[in-house]
Amino acid sequence: MLKKNNNNQKMLKLIDKNRIYFIFLFVFLFMSLFAPRFLNVFNLTTVTKTMAMNATVAIGFTMIFIIGQLDLSIGTIITFSAVIGLSMKEYIGFGGSVPLAIVAGGLIGLINGLLVTKAKISSFIVTLGMMTVLTGVIYTMTGGNSVSLSSDDAFAVSDFLGDMIFPFITPRVLIAIIMVIAFSLFLNRTRTGRNFYMVGGNKQTAWLAGINTDKYTIITFVISGTMAGVGGVLYAMESAAAPLNLGTSSLMYIISATIIGGTAMSGGKGGVFKTFVAILMLEVLYNGIILFGLGNEVKIFIAGFILAAVVMNEAIVAYKHEKIFGQRPELIKELKQVQN
Amino acid sequence: MKKFTTLCLSLLMMVAITGFAFAAGQQEEGEMAASGNDNLAASLAVDSTVLKAADGQQLIKLEGVGRTVPPRPADPSALPETDPLHWWDMEFAGEITNKTNIPESPADGAIGKNVTMIVHGDHPWTTACTNGAQKVADAYSMNLKIQSPNWDLAVQNQMIDQAINERPDMILLIPLDAKTALQQARKINKAGIPLILFNTLPEAKAMDYAISWTGPDDFGQSRKLAKAWADELGMKGGVAFVQHNPGTSPYFARCFGPISTLAEYAPDIEVLDMQSPGFDAAKTLQLVSDWITRFGDDLTGIYVADDSSHALGVAEALAKAGREDIIVVGAGNSKVGMDLIKDGGIFAITYQTAEGDGALAVQTSADWFNGLDVPAIRNIPQHIITPADVDSFYPPQW
Repeated sequence: MLKKNNNNQKMLKLIDKNRIYFIFLFVFLFMSLFAPRFLNVFNLTTVTKTMAMNATVAIGFTMIFIIGQLDLSIGTIITFSAVIGLSMKEYIGFGGSVPLAIVAGGLIGLINGLLVTKAKISSFIVTLGMMTVLTGVIYTMTGGNSVSLSSDDAFAVSDFLGDMIFPFITPRVLIAIIMVIAFSLFLNRTRTGRNFYMVGGNKQTAWLAGINTDKYTIITFVISGTMAGVGGVLYAMESAAAPLNLGTSSLMYIISATIIGGTAMSGGKGGVFKTFVAILMLEVLYNGIILFGLGNEVKIFIAGFILAAVVMNEAIVAYKHEKIFGQRPELIKELKQVQN
Repeated sequence: MKKFTTLCLSLLMMVAITGFAFAAGQQEEGEMAASGNDNLAASLAVDSTVLKAADGQQLIKLEGVGRTVPPRPADPSALPETDPLHWWDMEFAGEITNKTNIPESPADGAIGKNVTMIVHGDHPWTTACTNGAQKVADAYSMNLKIQSPNWDLAVQNQMIDQAINERPDMILLIPLDAKTALQQARKINKAGIPLILFNTLPEAKAMDYAISWTGPDDFGQSRKLAKAWADELGMKGGVAFVQHNPGTSPYFARCFGPISTLAEYAPDIEVLDMQSPGFDAAKTLQLVSDWITRFGDDLTGIYVADDSSHALGVAEALAKAGREDIIVVGAGNSKVGMDLIKDGGIFAITYQTAEGDGALAVQTSADWFNGLDVPAIRNIPQHIITPADVDSFYPPQW
């Protein structure tokens, strides 16, 4: 009987740990069966193309969560890099403007990281301030006008990035997938990668273990800014335009996807690949909702419902964990004696 | 182990079901592409001019709406901003186009055609606009699918991709962003789907890929309003402008349109200031209070780019300062604006039918399906609403 209970618990833990895959499969299957014209190559390519920008940006943001910080400036960095990438193309071509746009994103991340670690300002305040300042810079640079390109070579690049090279995969999607896999392997399979989890899980322990926590924090902010730059500039190149509200909706979207994917805001837990699957799940969901002809309010409601359910599940798990401690007071007593 | 096997089998089943559904989806795509009908005579017999908007006005008016287009100067930007021709490229965008890859009209009638309308976002104006569109679609028995990205460009792009996937007979689009509209129009054009852009002016080159653009002549009606305003001001005085959001086409049309008109029509009227406080009544109130302090009696007129939130802020500021003598005019056609005309808070507003805007886009698509000539630009009618005729525009459309 006891063995059976243990097996059930193990199974539940396994499902909970991999819940995002099950949610994704459920949503995908549901849409496949019921959403009109969902399952065809063109529509699924639309799904992958739509998720590409946010999937790229979410790599850095997930790492920010893993180290227990917050970056509210990613949406503005997306727009900033997109604007730089297109407006500088006239002078230095895409060969110069694209790296410049990505480096600009990284530099903003570096400033964020330095302010958080060296000036000891909360990442919430630093990145909120950066978001505001950067918005002003963007409006000053552009005079309030979106940036666009209409030359033949810009259209050629746009067509290249948007055309399928394999079923469901365009070059921009491929870049996003490669980066997700690379960062996922780096975080899970290398010692340096695992150190990021340690910094977020317990900063003090990480420091005692000889990890330079400030260095890891700064690097993470640089990665976050760089990824936002990559996502923004590639999107702008495919659209041949950089509208000034490009990254506005990305922030809340990526925060939701990261939490749904199982990355804890408190740090030390989660993964880039799971965030990627969460974004894919949300895109499948949104795509299906549009195909059903339902309004935007339904989309917001369902996305909010999933997020609430995930947060509720986390709360229940934490409550059960606390309850176990409550039922075994002798353990805490014993622990205190050892500490004394 | 047994449970793990069951889990794996369930997943395999899911994949298999998905595979079958995928095959069915591809098959459906093939079947949909083959449909078509011939109903030209019945479609040409439809008389949409009898349709009425919620305010009792004629929903679609095509007669006498055209405008005179002056020759384009060699370099409009070299002219001063007070010269109406300085704004030629913006005011007459789309009049000179190089139409590219525009599909031939099937000329087989509009009845039963599938039309996808993608608007910009949820707003009372949009509701009125889509109501008007639906009235015309019903008259022609067209299947009108309306989608709103709720002001999110990424979602609008996704909706365009999905619309291309669905292969409707026509796409009607309000571009969310003038610059991005170029690539959106190009993509739809490349997919071989007829496109009509409406309401918001896109970048001029985007017009090359669309059959037509329909919507308000913002410059034209702003110029008309400016003349009525100048008459009421006695052709003299000092005026200020509460502007639209920077960068948008109404920002220029509803400020520099009147300014360049006044420079020619009433040169004794002096422009004192122009500011963009956003669509916020409280900020507008603050701005106008500052103007009253700064300019005193020199300020005799205010032009608002929006007859709802801007107008509310202005009316409150003037009432607080006891300056009801200042003559206010505004662009728009909202209930707030019309109520303010009745209360004496505003002298005049432009008539810009929201229902007519959506209706004209659908009507233009019906004309194209019927094989009729469709102009590159089609405007909704212009009129200035004053206390003399405001009652005939009730109940308001939005």
